[in-house]
Amino acid sequence: MTEPASSLLAPDRVADGQAKVARVVAGLRRAIVGKEQVIDEVVTALLARGHVLLEGLPGLGKTELVKALSRLLSLDVRRIQFTPDLLPTDVTGSHILQERDGRRDFVFHAGPIFTNLLLADEINRASPKTQAALLEAMQERRVTTFGETRALPAPFFVLATQNPIELEGTYPLPEAQLDRFMFKVDVAGVEASVLEEILVTRVHGEPPPLEPVLTSADLFDLFAIVDAVHLPRGVAGYIARLVAASHPASPDAPEAVKTFVKYGSSPRAAISIGVAARGLALLQGKPSVGFDDVRRVAPPAMAHRLVLDYAARLEGWDGRRVVAALLEAVSEVERGLPRTLDAR
Amino acid sequence: MPQPEVATHPAVRRLARRLAVGLFLDRWPVWAGVALLSAGTGALICRMFVPRASPYLPWLWLSPVVAAIPALVVALRRRYRPADLVALADWLGGGHGLLLALFETRDPLWSAPPLVARAAQFGQPRFRLRGVMATLAPAIAFLAIAVLLPQRQPKAAANPALAKQMVADLSAAVAQLAQQQAITPAEEQRLEDEIRQVQQSAERRVDASSWEAADALRQQLASALAAKQDAVRWAHDAVARYAAAAKADGPASANAEARAAELTQALEKLAQAGLAGSKAAQVLRGLEDGTLATDAGNLAELTDALASELGETGGRLAGPGALGAEGGRFDPAEFPTSSDAGPDGDGDPGSGGINRGRGDADLTWGQETKPFDKFKSTPLPPGAARSPDDWTPVVVLPGAPQEDPTLSTSAAARAYADTLGLEAWRRSLAPRHLSAVKKYFGKDHDRDKEP
Repeated sequence: MTEPASSLLAPDRVADGQAKVARVVAGLRRAIVGKEQVIDEVVTALLARGHVLLEGLPGLGKTELVKALSRLLSLDVRRIQFTPDLLPTDVTGSHILQERDGRRDFVFHAGPIFTNLLLADEINRASPKTQAALLEAMQERRVTTFGETRALPAPFFVLATQNPIELEGTYPLPEAQLDRFMFKVDVAGVEASVLEEILVTRVHGEPPPLEPVLTSADLFDLFAIVDAVHLPRGVAGYIARLVAASHPASPDAPEAVKTFVKYGSSPRAAISIGVAARGLALLQGKPSVGFDDVRRVAPPAMAHRLVLDYAARLEGWDGRRVVAALLEAVSEVERGLPRTLDAR
Repeated sequence: MPQPEVATHPAVRRLARRLAVGLFLDRWPVWAGVALLSAGTGALICRMFVPRASPYLPWLWLSPVVAAIPALVVALRRRYRPADLVALADWLGGGHGLLLALFETRDPLWSAPPLVARAAQFGQPRFRLRGVMATLAPAIAFLAIAVLLPQRQPKAAANPALAKQMVADLSAAVAQLAQQQAITPAEEQRLEDEIRQVQQSAERRVDASSWEAADALRQQLASALAAKQDAVRWAHDAVARYAAAAKADGPASANAEARAAELTQALEKLAQAGLAGSKAAQVLRGLEDGTLATDAGNLAELTDALASELGETGGRLAGPGALGAEGGRFDPAEFPTSSDAGPDGDGDPGSGGINRGRGDADLTWGQETKPFDKFKSTPLPPGAARSPDDWTPVVVLPGAPQEDPTLSTSAAARAYADTLGLEAWRRSLAPRHLSAVKKYFGKDHDRDKEP
């Protein structure tokens, strides 16, 4: 169901959608303590039907977050522990010679990718060949084996995790695959007060039992609401200028981009920012996207899509810092204030 | 097409007004500054070269107003579109997007006044007038200085009245002299020519040189009159002396002949000055021809007539002769003949010194300054150098070393090694050299070397 783009969502529809999302967020916050920003970003990507790459040290609750999400949404969840010897067919499934009705025939045995929520744990430990098996599934939401193409169940999300420190024996994700993740979410450590809360409330660290808060129909309704969130032209122009300025050849590119970025973000990044900003607007109960939503979703949506120069590594710049410089340099409004006026 | 409701919200309209003023202020200060500088330059030029424009210079303060007209036109042409306006309002309010969405969709469900009012809550941008003032202040100061400068007056124009006044006394004197036949027509013509030249020069330009030229001419005229007066006086005296000699010794005596020769010279000089009257010419002719009357009666009558004529001539010259005093000619009568009232009171004219009477007095001798005998010559000792062996210290300064020169080198080293020597290298040695010095010259090293 798609709302007409020429009008805003009705206030009760927005309130209804926000309430549903709020239930998911509340459940996740019960399961994962002290990770409000990570939860918001993951839920935003979920509403935008985008895949998420979670990067963080072991033991920070990445896997637990995915599990909690699957329980709250009553979705089918599968987990693949990526290892160097994992084969593509271990992901996608394969045809197996099987005797049936007195005949031997190749029967397709679906792999773990045929699920709603795929937890790709430590995705950078698999070989590039296996990582590439995810490419078609993530973008097209279908799998082709032996010339046969099969659609993946809807909804289909990939939540992948990777460890940023144990780089030996890993295969960094290629840019093409990184581009297919809507967000790359950095999972940082927790504060002492959060740790104290965890120690007091959870004896063995297990999360509290969670009940599903959304049905599959609710989820699709949410998707429809997100699609109907209005994206004003002014905000769309801001997204376009932001992505265009991420290219070092752009005349509007800031100095940090010209110095440290080799290749800028793709148009897919602009699309991701737009739809993610819609999701975030709904999360905040707004019928339309604003500049503030774009500013919030731009770092997780753009940082991993920038191909940085070696100089960036030497100078200690990462994608997030470049995006911060980009946000600082690119004006939200196409035509700013006169020089003699100053915003308060 | 009517504007959406959000575009006409009071806060948005207030923002629109501020933006319009901001656009105007983006251009106007610079243009006004240029206009003020141009006006200041124009005012400077007027102050220097166009005095007639002086009353109109205050109007130059309107130059910023003139510059405001094109600035207004540019601001009008660059005015914000409603979409830009609403985008700015939304951005200023935090960028929530509701104003933009309402502007684009005009959705009635979200256009309730409370919602719109909440969405339109944003801080109005502030004016940064410091930059404006920084641009305008120097230009205003420049124009103010240019306008307040005093008007430069041009060179004095031709002033015939002043020029005429400058030579009026000269012309009057020459006319008086000519009327009284004190000067010859040639002299009169020459003086009038010179007066005319001075007058014409003063009519072109009056300055110090004009006055100096008039003064010079006045002095020249006074000198000429004085010379004529001297000639008349000399002739008068010569006549008196000749008459006395002739009366005493007879016209044929040697004394009378000498006086006759003097009288001849005096009358010739008088004739050269153009002052020789009929009697003077008759006497001169008689003296030169030797036909002058020799009998005492006729001679006395002739000399009396000549003296009378000379006296009349001298009387004619007495009036214009005052011109010489006015012209600055030195007149000894103006100065006292003694300086008894001087500060030193010695007042001996001619004895020298600045306070000893008039400078033109005859020199006197016998009262000169006495020779000054306080500085008597004293013979100096011979300049030969003394032997370096018999020197003795003149003075011992406080900082001089106090070592006993009788100590041997080794004894002195032992005596001062623990104090002065160590202190010396501790104070002056660079830190990076300390280890090397310690290694080779330290106490441990010395101890190792001792048997």
